[in-house]
Amino acid sequence: MSGRLKGLAAVLFAAVVLYAMQHTTPFYSEIISQVPVSGRLGERVDARDFALVAGRVNLARALETESYGSTKTYTTSGVWILVEAVAEAKRESMALTSAEWIGPSGVRYGLSQRLSNVPGMVQTANFEPGLAMPFLMAFEVPENELSGGTLLVSRSLLMPLAEQVRMPVPDLPADRIRSTIAIGPAGGELPWTLEAK
Amino acid sequence: MSVTPRSTLRQRLFAFLAAGIGGTLAAAMSFAMTVYEAANPNVIPNVEAGSPIDTGRWIVTIREARAGDVPPTGVKPYEPKKFVMVEFDADNRSAATAFVSPRLFTFDPPMENLREPTFYLVRDKWIASAINPDMPERLVVAWEWPEEQPLPQTVRLKVGSEIYKRRDNLYGHSSWFDRDPIAIVELPVTAAESEAEQ
Repeated sequence: MSGRLKGLAAVLFAAVVLYAMQHTTPFYSEIISQVPVSGRLGERVDARDFALVAGRVNLARALETESYGSTKTYTTSGVWILVEAVAEAKRESMALTSAEWIGPSGVRYGLSQRLSNVPGMVQTANFEPGLAMPFLMAFEVPENELSGGTLLVSRSLLMPLAEQVRMPVPDLPADRIRSTIAIGPAGGELPWTLEAK
Repeated sequence: MSVTPRSTLRQRLFAFLAAGIGGTLAAAMSFAMTVYEAANPNVIPNVEAGSPIDTGRWIVTIREARAGDVPPTGVKPYEPKKFVMVEFDADNRSAATAFVSPRLFTFDPPMENLREPTFYLVRDKWIASAINPDMPERLVVAWEWPEEQPLPQTVRLKVGSEIYKRRDNLYGHSSWFDRDPIAIVELPVTAAESEAEQ
């Protein structure tokens, strides 16, 4: 009788252990997710492959660019976030292909590809070791996802366990939203000029 | 430690029978379900143009269909081509920026030798990139129509759907997967006048 009881207890114990294991197994996407490196806006953040300083955050209802003599206006139903940043590679020439804006609700907004061929955008930038390279990142988000956002930058989302820079962005009040920002050609030190209209 | 007695012939016969009956039952049930599903196919509901369709990842509202020789960029291609275009609103209901699946719309009955369509953003009159969550956009999907086929008067579009799996069966990834079509929209195709920008 006690043997049976013991067997039953063993089966129950095994069931409990299996249930616990099933419900605590990390997701595959969590196992191979990138390693966060936290930083602050305006300060240098060092990841394994690159160093990054994200500076000014500009907000606008529309962006304007000029190419081959014609002006193109990019409108949005939300707000454009235009981040000015500088980065340098550490070990090899590389590109930064992944940047995301995580809103206060946790929703992820990817880098806008609509302006990807505008000079100065991160999509066109190549980073060399030891050479600081300024670049722009553009995001399109609804107005309620502005304040309390976090900026994520990494080499590529396809590189598991690579380092990803995460920086919280302080409050962005609505009165900082300009109606139009024109992205012009190189002026002074930066490969672009931003002009609010 | 007791020595396990060798099972008798009767016991073994019973075990074989139980396993056999179970297996046969499972096979028969699976077969019956397949036959039943083939005999009673799921009827895809007809939805009118202009009403929102919840496809899982997207809320899609089909607006109108047109055909012509000018793609949604407004620039006529150098070699004359024919396009069938459907204008629709897409609202990304997922938690991340995503591309519209090229399998979102398919023709019913399926069209042969038709290449995958291109999606255009009406706002930019240019090829659409990924659509942000909670920011509905007006898009145009354009199929390059084969030269030998006449342009259709009406189109019947099957709207596909997607399902979110927190842990997929293969890798344990969290992702969106294609599911069965969820609606059929039938709408007339108007002839778009050539208004190409030069």
